[in-house]
This record gives sequence, C-alpha cells and structure tokens, in this order.
Amino acid sequence: MQVLVDTMPMRLEVRRGERIDRRHTFGFTWNGDRYTAYAGDTIVSALAAAGERIFSRSFKLHRPRGLLTASYIDPGCMVQVGDEPNVRGAHRLVESGMTVRAQNAWPTLRFDVKSANQAVGRFLSAGFYYKTFMKPERLWPAYENVLQRFSAGGVVSESSTHGLYDKRYAHPDVIVAGGGPAGMAAAVAAAEAGAAVLLVEEEHELGGHLRWAGPDALDALEKLRAAVAATDGIETMTDSVVTGRYDDNWVAVLQRSLPHVKERLVKARAKTLVAAPGLIERPYVFEGNDTPGVILSTASRRLINMFAVKPGHRAVVFSANADGDAAAADLERAGVEIARLVDARKGEDIVRVSGGKGVRSVECNDGAKIKCDLVVTAVGWTAPTSLTNMSGDRPAYNPHAGRFFPSSLPDDVLVTGGIAGDGNLDQLLEHAHAVGCEAARRSAHIGRRRRAAVPQSNSDEGREGPGDSPVAIPELPIAGHPELFMSRTHGVVDYSEDVGSKDLVAAVKEGYDSIELAKRYTTATMGPAQGKLETVNAVAVVAAATGSTIEATGTTVWRPPFNPISLGALAGRIFEPVMFSPMQPWHEGRRAEPLVAGTWIRPDHYGDPAAEVRNVRTNVGLIDVTPLGKFDLRGPDVPKLLNQLYVNKWSKLGVGSVRYGVMCAEDGVVLDDGVTGRLEPDRYMMSTTSSGAAALWEWMENWLQTEHPEWRVCLTPMTSAYASINVAGPKSRELMRRVAEEIDLSPEEFPYMRVRTGRIAGVDGCFVWRIGFTGELGYEIHVPASYGLHVWTTLIELGADLNVQPFGVEAQRILRLEKGHMIVGQDTDGLTGAYGADLGWAVKLDKQDFAGKRELVWQSENDDYFRLVGLQPVDPSEIPPEASQIIEGTKQIAGRITSSRMSPTLGRSICLGFVAPHLGAPGTTVTVHLPDGRRIPATVMPQLAHFDPDGGRVRG
Amino acid sequence: MAESAAVARSPIAPTPPVAIENGWEVSARRSAADLRITDCTPLTKLLVLGPEGGVFGIPFGRAERDEEGVLVAGSGPGEWTLFGPPGTGEGLAGRAAAALPPDEGAVFDLTHGRAAMRITGPAAAAALARVCAVDLAGEVSPDGAAFRSSVAKVVTDVVRDDIDSQLSYLMHCDRAFGQYLFDALLDAGAEFDIEVDGFAGPGI
Amino acid sequence: MMLLPCPHCGPRNSSEFRYVGEGTARPDPGTATIGVWRDYLYTRSNPAGWTTENWFHRAGCRRYFTVERHTVSNAVRASHRPAAQARTTSDPEGLSAGTERGPDAGPG
Repeated sequence: MQVLVDTMPMRLEVRRGERIDRRHTFGFTWNGDRYTAYAGDTIVSALAAAGERIFSRSFKLHRPRGLLTASYIDPGCMVQVGDEPNVRGAHRLVESGMTVRAQNAWPTLRFDVKSANQAVGRFLSAGFYYKTFMKPERLWPAYENVLQRFSAGGVVSESSTHGLYDKRYAHPDVIVAGGGPAGMAAAVAAAEAGAAVLLVEEEHELGGHLRWAGPDALDALEKLRAAVAATDGIETMTDSVVTGRYDDNWVAVLQRSLPHVKERLVKARAKTLVAAPGLIERPYVFEGNDTPGVILSTASRRLINMFAVKPGHRAVVFSANADGDAAAADLERAGVEIARLVDARKGEDIVRVSGGKGVRSVECNDGAKIKCDLVVTAVGWTAPTSLTNMSGDRPAYNPHAGRFFPSSLPDDVLVTGGIAGDGNLDQLLEHAHAVGCEAARRSAHIGRRRRAAVPQSNSDEGREGPGDSPVAIPELPIAGHPELFMSRTHGVVDYSEDVGSKDLVAAVKEGYDSIELAKRYTTATMGPAQGKLETVNAVAVVAAATGSTIEATGTTVWRPPFNPISLGALAGRIFEPVMFSPMQPWHEGRRAEPLVAGTWIRPDHYGDPAAEVRNVRTNVGLIDVTPLGKFDLRGPDVPKLLNQLYVNKWSKLGVGSVRYGVMCAEDGVVLDDGVTGRLEPDRYMMSTTSSGAAALWEWMENWLQTEHPEWRVCLTPMTSAYASINVAGPKSRELMRRVAEEIDLSPEEFPYMRVRTGRIAGVDGCFVWRIGFTGELGYEIHVPASYGLHVWTTLIELGADLNVQPFGVEAQRILRLEKGHMIVGQDTDGLTGAYGADLGWAVKLDKQDFAGKRELVWQSENDDYFRLVGLQPVDPSEIPPEASQIIEGTKQIAGRITSSRMSPTLGRSICLGFVAPHLGAPGTTVTVHLPDGRRIPATVMPQLAHFDPDGGRVRG
Repeated sequence: MAESAAVARSPIAPTPPVAIENGWEVSARRSAADLRITDCTPLTKLLVLGPEGGVFGIPFGRAERDEEGVLVAGSGPGEWTLFGPPGTGEGLAGRAAAALPPDEGAVFDLTHGRAAMRITGPAAAAALARVCAVDLAGEVSPDGAAFRSSVAKVVTDVVRDDIDSQLSYLMHCDRAFGQYLFDALLDAGAEFDIEVDGFAGPGI
Repeated sequence: MMLLPCPHCGPRNSSEFRYVGEGTARPDPGTATIGVWRDYLYTRSNPAGWTTENWFHRAGCRRYFTVERHTVSNAVRASHRPAAQARTTSDPEGLSAGTERGPDAGPG
C-alpha cells in the first residue's frame, strides 16, 4: 500500500462524497509508464493524482495542454486508449491494464517538434486553411499529406475488432435530459404523476453539481438519489447522453457502459422532453489561458471533492461569483495555499499567465505579479441551449445575468434547472417538481390523442392521467452576474481548434463580421467541444470587435449531435434485407456465382455462361426466375386497369392466353414490360421485371386508390409465392412431358403465348406459360414456392438424359441479346420513350386513356428521338463495353451502346444501342468510341434480333 | 417416374433435428427457454380483400380467433389475414369467400407467399423493440393488436397473440425475406438468450 | 424524424412512407394541351408554408393519403384519404378521426 501512496502525491485524504473506491486499485500505463488508479478514477484524475499536468498538445500550435474542466468536454484531455482514439480522458474510467497514450504529439508529449508551429503561428491564423493552401492547385496532394500529419486526433487501427453496437427504440412519456438535482426532481415528479420516464445523465452517476458542493449538497443528493431509486416508472441511464432532438420529439440517446454491447443508440419517441442540462462554466480569455495549471473553478471542485485530488500547491483564484469563492475555500481546506483571490466584482482582473509547460506566475491588472502553479477562474456560466435550439428555439441573451436563456419553446419541450434560472436549491427543486408534473400532464394528453388514432390500441384502456388544467410553474429568479468574457490581453477562445481572440478580431477586420461567418472562417466552435465552452466567448469577442452588443450579435445555431457519436453507434444493428428463392440451397450446392440484383441474390452463372448458352440452344436449360414480379389480379374490372397501365390493348385477351405488354409512366418513358395472362374469366396473372415489381405495386395501387376507386379490382403480389422456373431449349417440351400432369403439351393444344394450369411433378396449383425470352421453345413454370426446390430437383433428375443444365442470369442476358429482346433499365433509361425503344407497334393511341398517352401522342408527332437498334461491330472480335458512346465527326455524341456481348451462337460480337434518328437506317455504319480511345465501325442491323429474327424456334 | 413425394419447405432453414409435419419439413427441436422463436410458415395464410367495415366482424388493427380456432387479423383497411392449421387452405378459402359480399373482394392463398414466425416469452417485446419502431406497450399494442410496420427494415405484419398469458408476437413477411428476418430476430434476441423452438401442429 | 399521421394506422415514423408529392389533378389526356400536361407532370408550387401533398404508407396500410403540412415546421394540420376515394366511401368529407391539428401537435 505504501507504494501506491508514493505514486499519488496529489491524492488527498479520504473525504465524504468521493467517488473513488480506495479498496480497489488498478495498474495502467500512460505513454508506456506504469501508473496506479483507484476504482472510480478517470484517466485524468488518476494522472493528476500522480502529479501529471500535460495531457495533450493543441490542434494547430501544438501547445502543451492540461485539464481545464475535468469533465467529458475537457478539450485538452483527449487521449488514445488501446486502439480507440479520441477518448475523453476526464470522463473515461480507468480499467485494469488500460494502455493510454497522448495524441497529437510527436515524438513525445513533452518535446513535440510541431510546437515549432508556435513560432510560425502567424501563418496559422484566422482562415489559414482558405489562404495558405489555396494555390497552386497542383500542390494539393502535398498539402493534404502535411495537413494530415498535423491534424489532431488519435490513430485508427486497421486491426481493430468490430465491436457490437446495438440500437433500440423506446417510447417514454417523458425524457429528462440531465440528471442533476433539477433533472432528478423533475423525473420523480413526472413518474409520480404516472408518466414513464427516461432519465439520462452524461456522467457516471446522478447528482450534477451536488456532488462537489459541500456537505449540505451531499445530504440533498442522497435524498434525491433515494427518491429516484424508490419511484416506479423511471428508467435511469448514466454515462449516456441525449445527442439530439428532432421533429416530434424524436430523441437520440447514446448509451455507454453496457454489459453486452459497446454502445447502444436508443431512438426514443418521447411525448415530452425536459431539458435539464445544468450550466457549463465559461473559461476566461487572457494571455496564457491555455497553460497547464489554468483551470475552471468547477474543475477544481470536481478534482478535490469527487476524486480527492489536490489540483496544485499555490493558487491564484479569479472569482466573479459565489462559486469561485467556494472553490477558493475548497482549495484552502485541501491544503492549497491561496496566493491571492482576485475579485472581479471589485474591478480586479488577471492579465496574463507566464509559464510554458505549467503556470509559473500570473500578472494582475494592478501590476502585481504573483508566483503560483495554479490559476482558478470563475467568470460565469453558459446555458447549454443545444436541445432547446434543436427544438426550434433561438436563445436570447440576458445582459443582467451575462448568459443566454431559451426564449420560446414548443409545447412538448420544457426546461428546468440552471438553463431556466437561478435561486437556491429549494427554489430549483420546486421549479423542477412543477416542470415534471406539467411534462407528465402534457405527455398524457399527447398519449391519449395518439392512442385514439392508433387502430390496434384499446383506446378505452388508456390509463388514468393527470388532470387537464396546466400545472403552474414558478418563475426562477435570475441572479445578476458581471459580463466577464475577456481580459485586456488576447487569449485562446476555442481550445479544441486553437482559435484565439486575435484570430476572431482579424476575421472581423477582414469582413467576416457576423458570428456565423466568423465561426466558419476561423473554425471557432467547430471542434470536438462544439461550442459548449467557447461559443459565448466567441460571440463576446466578435461583438466587441464590431462595436456591437452580444444581444445584437446573437449566437450560433447548435446542431446535433450534442456530443460526438462513434460511427459504430450510428451504424447500430446493420439491416440489409436480402431475398432468396426457394432453390437457393441448390444453387449454393452447385457453387453458383451470386449476383446481387436489388434485394435478390441470384445465380449469375454456374461456371461457364457461354456453355450454358450453347446448352439452351441445343438441349434444354433451367433458369430460376423467381424474382420475376408476379401479381394476382381479380375482379370484373381488371381489363380496365390493364388498359390504363399498358400502352397496348387488353379487352380481348381470352382465358388461357398471355400477351406481352409495355407500360409507360405519365411522361411517356418506358416504365416496365412483361407478360400478363388470363387464368380464369375474372383472374389475371401479371408478370413484371424483377426490379420493377415493388414500384409497380405502388403504381397500380395509385391508379386504383386515387384515380379509379370505383373499379372492382383486387390485387396482391405473388412474386415469392410462386417459384418460377424457365425451361428453355429444343428439348424443353420433352422434359415438360415428364413432369406435367393434366396439361396437353402438344403444339396444337398449347401453342406459343398461352397459359395452362395444372399439376407439375406432383404439385398442385401450378401454372405454365409458353413464352420465349431466350428465343427458344420454352415454358415458364410457376409452382407454389414451398415446392420450388422439389420441382427444380425433379426436373434436373428427370432431364439427365436430355442433358438438362441450369443457366444463370448472364447466360440469359446473352440469349436474349442474341434474340434482340431489350431489358427495361438496361436498354432504356429515364428518357427513353416507347417509340424510341422500338415499341411503337404496341402503342395504341386510339385507346381513350392510358398512362403516358398524352406524351406518347406528342412523341408520335415529333419523331426526333434516338432509336434503339441492333448493332454489330464490323470486326466480330470487338466487344464495345456497355455505355460506349457512338460518335459523329470528332465530338458529336450520336448514340451509345446499351448491351454488348460475344455471342456463342453466332461466334461474333453483338450489341443493342441507341443512335440518332438519321443513323437508324439498316446498313448505316456508325462509329463507336471505346474507353481506350480507339474508334471502331459498327453496322446498324435490319432488326433488333441477331438470331432467328423470324421466331421459328420459339413458335416450334 | 423417379420423383420423390413432394415436400413443402419453409424459406427458413430448419434447425436440426428435422422432421416432416403435415407434409412440411420442420425443425423438431424443442426449447423451454424464456425467449423462443418458431418458424410458423407451415400455417395456412389467407389474404382477404373486401369492403371496409368488417367482413368478419374484426376491425382493422385487431385480431381474434373464430369459433373454429382460426386467427383472423384485421391487417389493413378492407384487408384481413386468416391463419389456420397446415393443409386447411381450401376449406378456409371457401369459408372466407362465402363471407364476402357477392361480386366484391377476393381471397388469395398466401401460404407459400409469406414466411411466418412467432417469438414468445416475457422478453419478446424488448427483443422486438430492437428492430421495430412501433410502441409495443400494453396500452398501445395490447393482446390482439394487429399492425404492419417495418421490422429490421422488412415490411412485416405483426399480431400480438399471447399464448397462455405469455407474451407472444406472430409475424409474417414476404417469403423471400423469411430467412433474413428470422436471423435478424435471432440476433435481436441474443441478449435475452433466445432459442429456436420447432413447429408443432396445429400451430395456431 | 417526423411523425406522419396516417389516417388509417395513426402516427408513424416518416421513414415508413413514400413522399408522392404535391397534389395535382390529372388533366384529361384527350383534351389537354402538351403545356397543360407538362404542368401536371413537372410544375409544383413548393411553398415555404402550408402545402397539400400526397404520401403513400409503404410499410403500413399501403394506402395513399393526403396531408396538409407546413414545410417549415413540419406541423401537420390535416390528414385524410385521397379526394377521389372519398367520393366512393361512406365518409363524404374524406376526413378521418383526430386530424384537426394532427394527432401529434402539442397539447392545448
């Protein structure tokens, strides 16, 4: 035990209220050296107890930095813990064996070569990014290299393990942001009034300033903590932070210190939000104010009372308020010699601190120069109006109090505690109690209204809520406070970004004279502290430099997040839904190459797509086309809907027939295509492209719900209800004969473009349509999906002697390209009208109405559109990559290649592409510009089909 | 013909041991864990579209069992989902069609188009709240509540259907998302030691 | 994330919905000039203020509906079925319950 004491020379004797547990000690390392901590110590409290004073180097000038606030936001205390960068050293608790290193320092914290920046600081002044690195542009890579080495922050390890981050939703009645005395009292009051309360505290325990404010405060704290623990309906989250408030009280809470996961993001839909963030003590701007050993009065009281750490040996206290005086008293009791209490209320001021790596002396405005190693400042408070600002409020400055207050809040956001006003503890608790009651009342009101609108709730079961007359919320007194921001010397304003008051004044002189402009130009308030410490000082400096007031200058807008959030927490649980066909296990067994097609995972090929193509042309192939969109449409008015959706006509489609159809959007652009069959008099089955199925459902519902609700049509998607298998090739009829029951497969009884229903491989309820996307005799079987794997494996088994083989999406793309069948979205784009896609034959302008008709009428009268044509490169071995441009002259774009492949059937390259109207005549030679710069000739073909243009094979 | 008897398969790979139940390949694993998940895809699932206002006397948002034990959920305005034991599709469809007014509405058998699963246990709501943004509190979503929302980013129908006063949610989604949703629920329940409990008839 | 009061399902996160757009009446394609047609396709008033717009509840009831939303505050003051649908239902005004200010406006 003796050894431990030796390593903690600044540790004080046991004191009431300390949060450390002296029975448990941990070893940890700091820059490779071994240190000891008590359980409950933060990294910085343990190091401070050991006498360490420098914890980092500043961002730009690499000045040594010590602790300032001794809390989460402390800008000088960001450290690297193991492979985790940017750890808040004054917040993170020490764990046994922790490896802690300083960031932003090279080669060591004490001798940092980049501190030479201080000598060239004038080049790193306001707007230095904009000025210094602007030109010449060719040097940007060099600038980036240098800037990266100089940037703050730790090291991201490439071998870090992927931690588990969680996300969950919550629906509390009331969220109380802040677990100080006001937050605790408001939470208890709201819960007692029947509300489900989420109480969120950033630090490791509830209590706020009561934790360091003396014995009376500790008595009150014990009572409040006991009340929170004893009240049903409060969920308390410590080491957690409300990071943002969005529309309708969508509140993000980041939870840390969890047993199962690293961090959890709670997405809470609160009915009311109570912001009780307390107050943040403001630093004072003067020369040397960032020297290690210059700390805030709250930091001094935290160190002494929570961690039993003596902040220094000989202190000068600069105080403008009672908290500063109390800090001086605390210091004295802790054995720190008070060299002088400089009283701002009497016009006394501190002017500069001398010392590089630590305070050596301080100079006052009366000329006195006092030797000391500690300067404690207490110059006033900033209300963190972040959450209220995110709720739409613009904070208003009160010169009497020297701080900003919320001005107008929405009904579902309330405030209590220091953000609302001052007063003694009793007044504060009385206010918080009333706010908690009122928050509960309003949340009950909102909850009742929401439940009444929710069909699944038993709205009469609504729980008894508080009454309907608003709770009177007493006004908190607002204490006077000197407006004290800056001495007569310049100092640091933004510690995180290394921006000084001099920089802000320079920015104003250069014309950036509004606070929002000066902020962006200097980056003041844009660092990790996000304005909590520096915003008001920045406003005060800009106001003084522009000869304006703080009220007139206003403040910058606080945006989420309140505190930085790890990317892991934002990612949370990763949801990437994927869809599989029932035959997926078989595809995996055959080691199919997967193709991600939207949310579907499909076999791209099974090894050799060209061989798959040849087998379809000579024998028979099977392709899993389950993702093909399928819709079951019922009712007497289905033909009306089909006529509205498709550009072609549907009134005369007989039972047992299928027809190819094209759909256009209202702007005449090709939307989708597919075949639709009539299975029964009032039952149709529509097929769509795989990628278009989801959008088409909404498109059809739109027509039925908003334009023609009088049509009697019921529809539902059947895409994954049926496993779809295309059996294609000259031997497909023979294979079908072996599995089909109740279906006559003879060409006379089941010709091209017909549909039949029946039993396949022992499975009832199947339907088969005879179509030919591949250009071969083919049958598309649709079987109830649960039997898909059974039917597929049966086809494979029974077709072995026919050499049946599976084929994937790539082989199908080649087959259809040989046949000249376009694919919507591949061979068309967002500007391709039906006529341009060579689908004019399908458009029936004599129909009274259909989607896109007006534009198609216009297109039919203005035929200057690019046309889809079949193209063959003159050199049959050249395959112009898809999206290659077709060029006329030297620069004129006259089209593009939309699809291109080597055809295994024809032994040459084949394409589809768009060409300008005057290039569309068959036999025209066009010039294709390849990505490598070469230009090759290609010939426009008489039709889209490169193979079997007469369709003899498909009709066989 | 060399073909084997047709076996129906859920999109969710069965956890061994595997058995055949009513012509369906199912997991025969049994679990008594506090939080359990069961693949209920073998259930007969019918979609009924009809005029708003309650064909079955069940309003949108609520679910109840009829006199024959069929669970009828008001799954949308003018939309009902019927859950019956495996293999009862035809009879159930006939009954549903008879309940519709003449020339209005339609009955679709979605047994093979939807993946169904159920999570049961006191922690079921906490697990579901990992992946679903709808308020599952008793006063908003009591026993018998039926709603459709996003569950792990998949559009999913949820019916709170407690079993012997044990909290239980019956869910179904597009069949092709079945394995994904099942895995997402297993992941969401991992913190509560969720276990797979196989399907046993009649299952509803 | 704003709550959108679906007239069928009640308030839900806006991520469950697809924004369809400002309500525009479809002209008769048989008589509309191409200019009128393109106004229908492309011209929107896009006000900073109250607007009447259509949404589709993709992850819920799969119904199209109309809301009056303030584009600056995201407040919703009315939410009802599409106008055409209202003509054919028993709800001639096309209004459903609790949409005077939207179920999620603050109290009072």
